[in-house]
Amino acid sequence: MSLFELTWQYLTTAASWTGSGGLLDRLAEQLLLTVTALLMGLLVGLPVALWLGHIGRGGFLAINISNIGRAVPTFALLAVLVTADWPGPAQLGPYGRAGLATLIALALFALPPLVTTTYTAIREVPDDVLEAADGMGMSGVQRFWRVELPLALPLMMSGVRLALVQVWATATIAALVAGPGVGAIIVSGFARNHYSEGIGAALVVAAVALVLEVAAAGAQKLVEPTRERRVPAKVRAVVGDSL
Amino acid sequence: MTLRRTLIAAALSGGLLITAGCAGDDLAEDDDSKDAGSGGGGKVVLASQSFDEAALVTAMYAALLDEAGYEVETKLVDSRPNYLGEFPGSVDIVPEYVAGLGDQLNTDANGENAEPISSSDLDATLEAMQPLLEDKGLTLLEPSEAASQNAYFVTQEYSEDNGVTRLSDLEGESIKLAAHPDCAGRDDCEAGLTEVYGIDIELLPLGYASPQTYQSVLDGESQLGQTGTLDGTLDDQGLVLLEDDRGIQPAQNLVPAVSVAFLEEHPDVEEPLNELMAALDNATLGELIVRVTVDRETPEDVAEDFLEQEGLLD
Repeated sequence: MSLFELTWQYLTTAASWTGSGGLLDRLAEQLLLTVTALLMGLLVGLPVALWLGHIGRGGFLAINISNIGRAVPTFALLAVLVTADWPGPAQLGPYGRAGLATLIALALFALPPLVTTTYTAIREVPDDVLEAADGMGMSGVQRFWRVELPLALPLMMSGVRLALVQVWATATIAALVAGPGVGAIIVSGFARNHYSEGIGAALVVAAVALVLEVAAAGAQKLVEPTRERRVPAKVRAVVGDSL
Repeated sequence: MTLRRTLIAAALSGGLLITAGCAGDDLAEDDDSKDAGSGGGGKVVLASQSFDEAALVTAMYAALLDEAGYEVETKLVDSRPNYLGEFPGSVDIVPEYVAGLGDQLNTDANGENAEPISSSDLDATLEAMQPLLEDKGLTLLEPSEAASQNAYFVTQEYSEDNGVTRLSDLEGESIKLAAHPDCAGRDDCEAGLTEVYGIDIELLPLGYASPQTYQSVLDGESQLGQTGTLDGTLDDQGLVLLEDDRGIQPAQNLVPAVSVAFLEEHPDVEEPLNELMAALDNATLGELIVRVTVDRETPEDVAEDFLEQEGLLD
């Protein structure tokens, strides 16, 4: 049988999906890793990027620091974290062996797209809109919440979307430190010359990445500002239809 | 439909990548320039795998053949299938492992899921692979006593505290095993330890003799770690091998595999290689490998040094 047929057979066999260590188990583990790491990234990255965008300073630094995160191989980072005394390879509940190390590595990996797009999104709010908001006597806080954030949301969401898909696909590296996720099946498949399992599991990861991408695109549509609702009518009255 | 096409395209391009990876190690070069004539000199092509142990043994072969008057060309590649396609042919001699070669020839001939023909019994394994060797046009010289097999270690402390020196001493225990991910389901690893030794194994896929595996055992996260019988670093780390007293390891004895056609033309290669096999054992080879992997001496230097000591090289 060709490799393609073997892979198809693997993917269409119920036993590949169910049971302990099956694809469904592993998918759930990886989704949990991904979502948690993304939330950690959001928690750290968003406030910083939003604030820097709002005051309009320090963005160069923030973006370059977070871009270093792009240059450092995530697996190298993970290896260092696992070798270190803390966080080390300790078990962390459902996140498995070296759970904390994996989460930190993935969260750092999520930072560059989150920080870059969020900072840019805030900075890209047109100057005339900001002037109009200032002219109306809005305070800095008001301007941020009522003008900048709503207008920045769509671009911010695309950053989140990007980070989500990247982290999802990269979360397979957890397997390299004996952690959970679909990577475990990919690694063991290739290690045991069961290429069909390795390729099948990799295809599943890719397919779920597409699904996540589409779902995130849907969520992004939901936060798209309908002009009437998001931007105060008074601001629109001043700047007209340029929005 | 689009989705299916995309999946097919993805699968195909994956396949191409794999093929391309193999093509990168292509050995086919000049295979027409071999000197005819019996024995003594001419060109010989050695191929082997590129990990330190194989590189060292290959360097020993190369030094001996050079001494015998041959013009030696050595090709080290990542894995066995990369040279096996051209052996015999553009490759003449390969420093092999009995069971590894036997099982590879078997799966090449009988499919990915063919039952392994190797066992811990060297003679039985040699006999089982004989027809496959003949079909392929290969022959084996004398196997060495040295055998590169999977082996399992514990800390010296664990061994003393629990009186464990053999794998069978762990029968009935629940053990965490740090090992290569390919351990799962293998008769010489997880399956053998579970079924033959009755050990309740939980596998941590941390690698074969990898820093992570050593660390996991030293930290007490795992009790058992996977390495090879030729691992000369254990002592210094305070680790000890457990004896495979029920024989789950296939007979991975070192053995020269030679093209039948080449050996007919050059029968004089047999003697020095057989002498080399006789001179090697696990402890000796283990120490030599440490000089390559830990002390970073070149395989060529270590090989020559050893061969001179043994009087195999002037």
